[in-house]
Amino acid sequence: MLTFYIGGLTIKLVHLIYVSMFAAIMGVLGLLPPIPLGFSPVPITLQTLGVMLAGSILGARLGPKYAALSQVLFLLIVATGMPLLSGGRGGIGVFLTPSAGFLISWIASAYVIGYLCQRLKTVVVWKMLLINLVGGVFVVYLIGVPVQAMMMEIPVTQAAIYSLSFLPGDVLKVVGASFIAVKLYHAAPFMKEARA
Amino acid sequence: MNQSLIIGQYVPGESVVHKIDPRLKLIIIFIFVIAVFMANNIWSYVSLYFFVFASVALSRIPVAYIFKGLKPVWWIIIITFMFHLFINSGGNVIVSFLGINVYEQGVFQGASIATRFFLLIILATLLTLSTTPIAVTDAVEALLKPLKKVRFPVHEIALMMSISLRFIPTFMQEMDKISKAQAARGLDYTKGKLKDRFKALLPLLIPLLISSFKRAEDLALAMEARGYQGEEGRTKLRQLSFSKIDYIVIISLIVFLVSFYMIRV
Repeated sequence: MLTFYIGGLTIKLVHLIYVSMFAAIMGVLGLLPPIPLGFSPVPITLQTLGVMLAGSILGARLGPKYAALSQVLFLLIVATGMPLLSGGRGGIGVFLTPSAGFLISWIASAYVIGYLCQRLKTVVVWKMLLINLVGGVFVVYLIGVPVQAMMMEIPVTQAAIYSLSFLPGDVLKVVGASFIAVKLYHAAPFMKEARA
Repeated sequence: MNQSLIIGQYVPGESVVHKIDPRLKLIIIFIFVIAVFMANNIWSYVSLYFFVFASVALSRIPVAYIFKGLKPVWWIIIITFMFHLFINSGGNVIVSFLGINVYEQGVFQGASIATRFFLLIILATLLTLSTTPIAVTDAVEALLKPLKKVRFPVHEIALMMSISLRFIPTFMQEMDKISKAQAARGLDYTKGKLKDRFKALLPLLIPLLISSFKRAEDLALAMEARGYQGEEGRTKLRQLSFSKIDYIVIISLIVFLVSFYMIRV
């Protein structure tokens, strides 16, 4: 089977296309209408669910580098002008706003989730929950909040307080991603052979 | 779902701005980002405003499209401005109100940062509106080419971008079909209790993911069957080339940058 050599990594063509497909799925998830929550002013957008899935599914099977690569690829496509971010945003402009840090954190987020998932001996829902909380929520805010503070030139604590309103939605996405990943682990025979 | 997404946010036209080589457009954006953070007095900001609005006028794209690109950013600009108004305490007090002081430095700082976001977003939106995503992909590949010397996978990145762009409409249609099929079976993730909505998401996302894996494998086989074996020996169907307009733009840009540098003190 055809292989490439990328950054010291041997990559099969089919794996490269898996990464492309995940980037496309990220785009589709961003276009779905957000789910409003009764107790929070911020509705749930499904895009970051895609980040968690990239780590939990792609990263768990092929490795964390592939999960991170899918996010790099998605952000490159957004930069070309496709309105794939939630609310129909796209273009280079989205990287010049204070939210840019959260976008870039998706790369690290997918990598961390993929790295931890790959090391799992047994795939159980509660372990997936913990992994997605660390990678999908903690890492994202760890990177996004300081960048937001820096670009708006306000204190980090102020930016952190503002970000709290997104927390309930993110936690719910962690639950959703974990259940989907576990279901797919047992249901999808395709990618099992792919690692070989 | 919106089928016009295939061309992104591109607004077809024949203006000067549309005809500039996409590589040059990307380079202009990066230069402008640097310039905007170098501006430090009134006149340097005025010259940047002139540059941006002249570009908008030349593109002949309706102003409504430009401001649509600003919509998600308005509140950020306003919050940032307000914040600096009340926090920054340099210079003389301009207004004192209910124990809150507004200082000279706060106004200038707030206005400066708000201006930066405003100008950057407009110019970036202009790029998005006047260039197709495929053209930008070609430009990115061309501009990243020097990185091949440090083994950066330029061709592979460009290939993956093209594949993703091609499949986004396909997955949108697929999502639409699955959504309707599930609705016909009584599932709707946009209504009902939170738990029910999340349950309704599973039969939506899992089939989509599985079908994407199938497509990936089919596509890999098809590409190899058609003789694809990596970048070596490949030719390009779409070629980028500089034209007279691009050279005029380059000269204008140099003149502008020299003027800007002299103005900024």
